[in-house]
Amino acid sequence: MQGLEAGISLALGIEGGSVASVDIRSTRLVQASRMLAGRTPAQVIAILPTIFALCGTAQGLAAAAAVENALGQPAPPPQRMARRLLLLVETIAEHALGVLRDWPALTGTQPDLAAAKTLRPCLAATRRALYPDGDWARPGGGRLAVARPVLDEQISILSGIAERLFAAAPDECCESPDTFAAWVSRGEGPAAALLNHIHRDGLDGFGRSPVHPMAESGPADLDDRLRADHDGHYAARPDCAGQPQETNALTRRMRHPLIAGLLERHGGGLVSRFAARLVEITASLREAADLAQDLCDAPGTDADLAGSGRGLGRVEAARGLLVHGVELEEGVVRRYQILAPTEWNFHPRGPLRHGLLGAGAGPGLERRARLAVAALDPCVACTIEITRHA
Amino acid sequence: MCMAVPSRIVAIDNGMATVEAFGAIRTTSLMLLEDEVAVGDYVILGAGGNFAAEKVEPEVAAEALAYLADVLDSGLA
Repeated sequence: MQGLEAGISLALGIEGGSVASVDIRSTRLVQASRMLAGRTPAQVIAILPTIFALCGTAQGLAAAAAVENALGQPAPPPQRMARRLLLLVETIAEHALGVLRDWPALTGTQPDLAAAKTLRPCLAATRRALYPDGDWARPGGGRLAVARPVLDEQISILSGIAERLFAAAPDECCESPDTFAAWVSRGEGPAAALLNHIHRDGLDGFGRSPVHPMAESGPADLDDRLRADHDGHYAARPDCAGQPQETNALTRRMRHPLIAGLLERHGGGLVSRFAARLVEITASLREAADLAQDLCDAPGTDADLAGSGRGLGRVEAARGLLVHGVELEEGVVRRYQILAPTEWNFHPRGPLRHGLLGAGAGPGLERRARLAVAALDPCVACTIEITRHA
Repeated sequence: MCMAVPSRIVAIDNGMATVEAFGAIRTTSLMLLEDEVAVGDYVILGAGGNFAAEKVEPEVAAEALAYLADVLDSGLA
């Protein structure tokens, strides 16, 4: 499995008491999507949610949207609402999983596995509650038959988990910098426990970097750059006019009063980034609950998949904008590209490098670097190596 | 990409599974799995591999493994 063991490695070089070099490398399989060529769209959509199971909803729906756009057959509004709901639930589940399973490790405490365990079943149940035939990623739209009680139950389970990880009423904690600071100072629950540690150690603004947010539907030159990306360099190290941009919870929630306040004080440092994921949990829960009320049933659509064309599918995945590009020729995939948010957020010249370059190399640097990585939330494991030069 | 490699369970001991994929063996916790699993079942591991995230049906695993074998053979991995 060696070749498939994808990850990010961070190497810090120390000179004169501070971090003098930051080398970020990725062994993520950004070219593997090429092997999808030669298959039919239906085959691609069947396999993607399994090989990218951890963000399978986003991958399946990006594929469906790319195929629909290539064929000029966009999904009707009820389908787009249902898909948005599925993406929100996956986003809540992924962020909550991070807080319950991974954040305790950053403070040396035990993960809350009992709560974490309920998250993936909740996502699966939501898919079934909307698409009983399992065709949620079908181009054109699957048979949408909303099982409202089941759906309400899933949202209620997720709300319960949010209360558990906040150990308080989530909306109140995230209302303003003041309510947030009061909640952090109590340090109860896995989220406040981590933020309390960070605050006590004076690390609220650690790793701060200028935030270059991506436009909502991606950079303007996205389609042109992907189209011309025959060697895969763009998909591995994407930029917009030479500038690596960010796409994540922080860039999506910058206008939220709490996040705007934290950004003003701490820039794109640890607390702003961790808090943005918490805000995203609460905001996504609200949006999901609203959407659930407005959903209506819709018949499945048999999109004509035999055509030709090129299309992009863009979805907001938990970690940022996920883009799929497909070229179809008479119903067969000729080219398939995937541009994932981690390639933007962990760009070798991106926010992690800016945030760590020049940082003091005193005791605990590895822990601080580990926090900076976790704040940027990679979708793969990240190793850290520190080399001290004379 | 965060490729999920379906891994076959070869042994289970006290909530920990020994799993195999493409000849590589590793151990992973079953604490986050909703489904009961047994030796011979396939699971997908979460990022970092410390926890199994999901049980995968054998035919779905076979299809994904065939694709991933193509990726390995092509040198894209």
